[in-house]
Amino acid sequence: MFKKSKLLSAAIFSAASLLAFNGQADTMGTPKISAMSILNGLENPWDMAFTKKGDMFFTEKCKGFSVKTKSGAVNKLYGMKGTSGYNSAGDDLFCEGQAGMLGIAVDPNFKKNRRIYVASASTAHRGSGCKDNFDVCNGNIIMRFEVSKDMKSVSNRTDIVTDIQYKPFESDHPFGGPGAHNGNRLRFGPEGYLWATTGDRHKGDIPQHPTLLGGNVLRIDTDGKAHPGNKPPKGFDKRMYTYGHRNVQGIDFRPSDGRAFTAEHGPWHNDEITALVNGGNAGWDPKEKVAGRGACPDKYCGYMPNQKEGMLPAARAEAGTPMSDERFKDLMPPAWNNNGLSQGTGSAAFLTGSNWGYWEGRMAVGIMGIAFGGTPSGMRIDIVDITKDGKAIKSVIQMPTGLTKRFRGLRMFNGDLYATVDEGEIYKISARK
Amino acid sequence: MKHIYIALFLPFFFVSNKAISGDPEAGKARYAQNCGNCHGPGGMGLASYPRISGKEVPYLTERLKTYRAGTKVGPNSDLMIMMAKPLTDLEIDNLAAYLASDPAGKK
Repeated sequence: MFKKSKLLSAAIFSAASLLAFNGQADTMGTPKISAMSILNGLENPWDMAFTKKGDMFFTEKCKGFSVKTKSGAVNKLYGMKGTSGYNSAGDDLFCEGQAGMLGIAVDPNFKKNRRIYVASASTAHRGSGCKDNFDVCNGNIIMRFEVSKDMKSVSNRTDIVTDIQYKPFESDHPFGGPGAHNGNRLRFGPEGYLWATTGDRHKGDIPQHPTLLGGNVLRIDTDGKAHPGNKPPKGFDKRMYTYGHRNVQGIDFRPSDGRAFTAEHGPWHNDEITALVNGGNAGWDPKEKVAGRGACPDKYCGYMPNQKEGMLPAARAEAGTPMSDERFKDLMPPAWNNNGLSQGTGSAAFLTGSNWGYWEGRMAVGIMGIAFGGTPSGMRIDIVDITKDGKAIKSVIQMPTGLTKRFRGLRMFNGDLYATVDEGEIYKISARK
Repeated sequence: MKHIYIALFLPFFFVSNKAISGDPEAGKARYAQNCGNCHGPGGMGLASYPRISGKEVPYLTERLKTYRAGTKVGPNSDLMIMMAKPLTDLEIDNLAAYLASDPAGKK
């Protein structure tokens, strides 16, 4: 049975969706939305980050990172193995499946130190690991670069985190290719520390593992060291702010109180938005032979049950390995579960600026969305009004962008919302009252 | 004389090819139902889902029939098996005709 809260959420969602499209919204002061493509012809653009002056750095998953300067010029800065046209490149950087060059962030002190941070799959720090999918595999890293004054090159690459886990081989699962579930969104928090998300990489014991980085949100300084205030459980890696996640690719900080929220993909059910608690557990535990489960393919129960066939989403949400397992005492319960659906919820940004009207302060959530097993396609941006305590939502509506795209990355800058889409574009989405 | 043979043969070739490879317009409509959610507009390829625009008809037909039969080919096979199961021979021919026309255009 669905819980009452889920049914209430569904009712709110339905009513709010109608409101957004039936024309009555204008009488309530709903902002008018316009979307404009500012870059196209890209190959899987994943994330972007802005300097205070308005230069936009962006990644392309299998190519590298570039910058679109305030003047409009696009400079290709640092490529991956096998790419061409970049000012320089790293031969250890590669893409495979869901992995590649993903998150990017600009240092809050960029004007002084010229630093940016980039997350990518890499072969540089594997050592003797990665022999099979059960082995330790340090294959995702976070790099720091310094950008030249003319914005045409980068230098002084320093790998500040070198042990984020990576999936090296195929496994017997629906999305079973190598390179699965990397997280890798990077954002600076309001206190100036770098937050990095990681994924479970289809290894059953990773999310609840005390020392292997995967299924976490990390809070680190710009050298990769733990924030001194992180409070993971005793014996856990001090870089962890939270653990027990599946594959976090959306994270942002609520402007009113600075609190971190994540938006996360669900396993064929229950995408989640969660208010983070220092040291908290998101409750994802896909290990086999626990919580009443038996053995699972390749020791990973993340797609159980019935992983090979279509199944009604509600039934899957009820019977599947829970995203937020209530047997954990340190569980951070989600504020929203996307009505029990998994549609590729993969990015998040709080709307800032009075031009957003009464949507200001709400969370925009980018949804990619693949339609199978009875789940409708996503391809939208939701606007979620989260309660002050972060434990529930007041409403969720669809942003009327006029776009049906796989929204991969969201970022606010100067009152506008920017979005990367898998179709190869970056959009600027503006609001006016 | 050679040119006459070619001129006589060409119309027959195109008619036969169309009959064998299906109806691209019907394929486009079927593609829009759910294929584009992963493979993108016109089969351009998105994220970890490969480009299928511009592949040849025999390749596309064989691959879809392989998935429909429940045979794995590559890491996302379970998704494709589920998607291909309900396809009829005609739908497969139509999809192949549509995608072989390279609707996403050259890269």
